[in-house]
Amino acid sequence: MQTNLQVQSSIVEQLRREASIKRTPVSEAVEDIKQFILQHEQEDYLLIGFSSQKNNPFREKSSCDIL
Amino acid sequence: MSEGGLKVEQPMESVEALSREAEGLKVKLEEERQKLNDVPLTTVAARLENLPPLNIKPRRVLKGHQGKVLCSDWCNDKRHLVSSSQDGKMIIWDAFTTNKEHAVTMPTTWVMACAYAPTGNMVACGGLDNKVTVYPLSFDEDVTQKKKAVGTHTSYMSCCTFPYSDQQILTGSGDSTCALWDVESGLMLQSFHGHQGDVMALDLAPSENGNTFVSGGCDKMALIWDMRTGQCVQSFEGHESDINSVKFYPSGDAIATGSDDATCRLFDLRADREIAVYTKESIIFGVNAVDFSVSGRLLFAGYNDYTVNVWDALKCQRLTILYGHENRVSCLKMSPDGTAISTGSWDFTLRIWA
Repeated sequence: MQTNLQVQSSIVEQLRREASIKRTPVSEAVEDIKQFILQHEQEDYLLIGFSSQKNNPFREKSSCDIL
Repeated sequence: MSEGGLKVEQPMESVEALSREAEGLKVKLEEERQKLNDVPLTTVAARLENLPPLNIKPRRVLKGHQGKVLCSDWCNDKRHLVSSSQDGKMIIWDAFTTNKEHAVTMPTTWVMACAYAPTGNMVACGGLDNKVTVYPLSFDEDVTQKKKAVGTHTSYMSCCTFPYSDQQILTGSGDSTCALWDVESGLMLQSFHGHQGDVMALDLAPSENGNTFVSGGCDKMALIWDMRTGQCVQSFEGHESDINSVKFYPSGDAIATGSDDATCRLFDLRADREIAVYTKESIIFGVNAVDFSVSGRLLFAGYNDYTVNVWDALKCQRLTILYGHENRVSCLKMSPDGTAISTGSWDFTLRIWA
């Protein structure tokens, strides 16, 4: 019984904590995600590609190098 | 004695009262979350232009494991990778040259987790041995000489990571707990109880100040934890099967999950709810690994059908499929500067895409 009580009270405690958190509307949260993307998309090489393949550390090695 | 007898009745009533309160709180929670669900993500994203075609190609194949690759992690130098395998081996790769710099045989098969320390001077791994073992890396001597068992769970260790320093390591286990260990002393600094099933994955919040991490497991739940107090601060449900992978969105405001239910999902921490599901009728195989591109616009996901699907995280549309692996894609990691992603597979290889 005691353990049952402990389990149940920890569940309630957890739910109380979660119920008391402050929430933002989805529209606001989504807008922040969108802004983060707009601010960082220029650094996102997988998204926009490399301005030159030379900047790609994993580019194919060219078969002849200029000495 | 008589006092003891009285106490017995008290808890009986309390358990009932508490269950009632719990049910009430659950209803209230759902109502509160629903109240703020004003605009769906896809509606906001619809106003954005479509992305141009991606140009991500296979660049390297890392061959050397003699079993399924189960986990991998990038070094902060953006060049080295550690991988672990069902064959009991952990390999340190130079991803530029595809050379193997170290190959360590573990005393167990199914090395399910491995991680690079932030300085790059150490790696940690473990799996069916229930242990997390660290190996300081040096070329002067055999790395197994200085290995050190740091922590032990009561079931397999499924995931591990170094939270911002080489001094601590965070682990998740089949015993349904996560634990934070001191590398030097081997002491458990904090344990995290809350999952009702095996913990399969964890990820640190991108900001060091956050002191939070997310875990996902076979109870279909993703839980957000406060590392200092050990308390679960938020929980997310929605998946219909085991969660195999969790990853923070680069801003730290959301998490992505990948599940055996063949979907990836996005949960926003501040809205406290699921805001996106990445799914298609034709996709019926489970997701083992997820990660974001640097801006968070691309969500990469490795599937049991041997493919990597690249999703537009905002529009929830699949942009492309990366083909190459000949068996399940078991792990997937963005390189620290976002110039490449690595994938590991049950086909015994790792691949680098850029």
